[in-house]
Amino acid sequence: MSIDKFKDKFKEEASDNINDLENALLELEKNTTNKDLIERVFRAMHSLKGGGAMFGFTALSEFTHNLETLYDKVRNGLKVIDRKILDITFEAADHMKSLLADELMTNNEIKTKHKQLAANIESLISDDTQTDVIPKSGSSSESSIKTYYIYFEPNPDIFANGTNPLYLIDELNSLGNCKVFAHFNKIPPIDEIDINKCYTYWEILLATSTDENSIADVFIFVEDQCKLEIDEVADNDITIHADFIHAITRLAIEKKDVGIVEIKNLIKKLKLNANVALAELNEPEKRIESSKVKETTISSIRVSSIKLDQMMNLVSELVTTQARLTLFAEKTNNTELNAIVENMQKLSRQIRDNAFDIVLIPIETMLIRFQRLVRDLSQELKKNVVFEAIGAETELDKTIIETLTDPILHILRNCLDHGIELPEVRKKLGKPEQGKIILKSFYSGTNVHIQIIDDGAGIDPEKIRKKAIQKGIISENDELSDTEIFDLVFMPGFSTAENVTDVSGRGVGMDVVKRNINELRGDVVVDSEINKGTTLTIRLPLTLSIIDGLLVRIDNDLYVIPLSVVNKIHVVDHDSISSKFNNLIVLDGVQYSFFVLRNELGYKSEPPKTERLILVSYETGLVGLVVDEVFGENQAVLKSLGKLYKNQALISGATILGDGTVALVLDTNKMIKKFSKNSEIIN
Amino acid sequence: MAKTILIVDDSESIREVVKFTLENEGYTVLVGVDGKDALKFLDGQTIDLVITDLHMPNMDGIELIKHIRTIEAYKRIPILFLTTESQVSRKMEAKDAGATGWIIKPFVPTKLLEALKKVIR
Repeated sequence: MSIDKFKDKFKEEASDNINDLENALLELEKNTTNKDLIERVFRAMHSLKGGGAMFGFTALSEFTHNLETLYDKVRNGLKVIDRKILDITFEAADHMKSLLADELMTNNEIKTKHKQLAANIESLISDDTQTDVIPKSGSSSESSIKTYYIYFEPNPDIFANGTNPLYLIDELNSLGNCKVFAHFNKIPPIDEIDINKCYTYWEILLATSTDENSIADVFIFVEDQCKLEIDEVADNDITIHADFIHAITRLAIEKKDVGIVEIKNLIKKLKLNANVALAELNEPEKRIESSKVKETTISSIRVSSIKLDQMMNLVSELVTTQARLTLFAEKTNNTELNAIVENMQKLSRQIRDNAFDIVLIPIETMLIRFQRLVRDLSQELKKNVVFEAIGAETELDKTIIETLTDPILHILRNCLDHGIELPEVRKKLGKPEQGKIILKSFYSGTNVHIQIIDDGAGIDPEKIRKKAIQKGIISENDELSDTEIFDLVFMPGFSTAENVTDVSGRGVGMDVVKRNINELRGDVVVDSEINKGTTLTIRLPLTLSIIDGLLVRIDNDLYVIPLSVVNKIHVVDHDSISSKFNNLIVLDGVQYSFFVLRNELGYKSEPPKTERLILVSYETGLVGLVVDEVFGENQAVLKSLGKLYKNQALISGATILGDGTVALVLDTNKMIKKFSKNSEIIN
Repeated sequence: MAKTILIVDDSESIREVVKFTLENEGYTVLVGVDGKDALKFLDGQTIDLVITDLHMPNMDGIELIKHIRTIEAYKRIPILFLTTESQVSRKMEAKDAGATGWIIKPFVPTKLLEALKKVIR
């Protein structure tokens, strides 16, 4: 093996190290005296230095050496972390990345930067005077934080009073650090479930500076309708101890409920109470750390993404072949073969799900870049902004994540630039001076939703309307709903910012964002309220390559409708729908608009007597699509239609069925949008 | 989307204060002057929260709450009632009728919004 091969490995490892470094720095900024974090920073630098020297990245190694010296001083208490040190370390981390890409510094810009940074670091090392110390965040109030154990079991009929227990838990969450363990073991078998009853109960650990009474106040409306227990269990915030939470989580899954006794035992065992902990801090911590290291070495391996892509391809082929085999077995009608095929089918489905799972990676992997952007940009714009991620463990296909990073960065830039106001302005409006951007991700069926929520100035629909008229995108007398107006933001060449700034507002961007997301078969919508903020919701499919579909027939052609949008299938008489005026039909007492696909797609043949109307979900509700026949569920391996058909919007791809025929996969959302534009029924 | 709140009270000043506070927060507000008057809004349209007084002519709050709970569309919406007496019996009566929570009069706008946050988001 040549040294280059190792070099690549080192580069991979080094960028992991830099990532870890950035991550630790971001945390260190919030908590400048945390020994563990300083140690983490130091460790990351140390491995960069060592590896760099070994694999010929001399510049990187020397550069890191100086930084390491600086942090060694910090570690030994000779220096205190301040803004200057942090800023320079952040800059250094960026520089290390460029050094990795260009180790010999062929680019002059990098060379100058290198010299300048090295000098700055050196002056910091020799300079022993301290300036601009960041105040320790909440160190004075920290001592008064206590951790409470809350047991909350609402009566089953609590919904009848219009109470949503989740809001109460949300409210607890706003009081401090909160770890919630929901228990579902009281949910009865499915045929005995009464959807009007609440079967879930909760155990919650809350670290807060408020007292027991204000916690009890949260439950004031329901105190006579639930079992409630509130107990102080520790005199500090123990929810930040990963090992402790880990242990509790495991207990919560294994047992019905953890119980206060168990929690108290655990606290004793891990010595989490401050007065005990201080005395014996070092010893147990080391032990925990060594066990952690062991765990990570065996729990994951590194696989190149090319191998993963190959595997996904093979799995797709397997699914297609499986379909052929199933069809063949059905025709042969050999019971022995059928049994084997059935087993095979189960296995290939499991392999498929498993393979999907492997290529899914958590959104967390994008977070560092977002945090950096918010931190750097808010400083540059002199705004005070905190970035929070909720549900970052939500997983998505790795190709989706890769394509998504840039659009989200752009959206965040917009939030920071146009959304969040300057601290003075916010104060005048009676808002907290610190703005907030939340990145919230969660699953919804086979989709993943990612929301970017800011509490800034919001978008004025009137302003957008005027601008759109001025740009000739809409005409003066167009009546548009707010949703439609917000949608205009995504039109090419649209930008409402009065002052075009360096950061955003060049009017390129939002349309590209939308296009990128659409290419992932996703969707993006904006909702906004003036002075309250803006919420941008991105909806994405979990994976790109295989979907569960409903196989249908129109005339002699087969089509697949994604199962994720199918709501219900009705049998309808052809006469009854052809006589309907305005394409509206009443089913189960509700009126729906519908489209007869054979007409819309231009089939001229005689329609069958009875047809099927499939209710699919659309932006504005359910819409009916009429087809000739429904065959059933089908796993569709999506193949693209190729370049020539790129410009049509109705079909998102094609799939090969077991017998070799091709079925087209319909993009119902775009299809309905297009048809309704033609007939102007739904707006 | 703006949430719709139905407020029911026979005192005009209270109605005005509550309406003003809620509209300021961006809610859409429907106003009924007593229980009977409020019934006209219960036609199946989306109502996210009801705030009602207990003492009212024609139809009092308890009766209104009971009536709301019989309508399928409003079986699970939160209902808050306004009460001057913090008497336990009256509160229990309203809760048994199906109320979610209460706001004690006299109240300041922030108090009202705090109570609101417990039941709608």
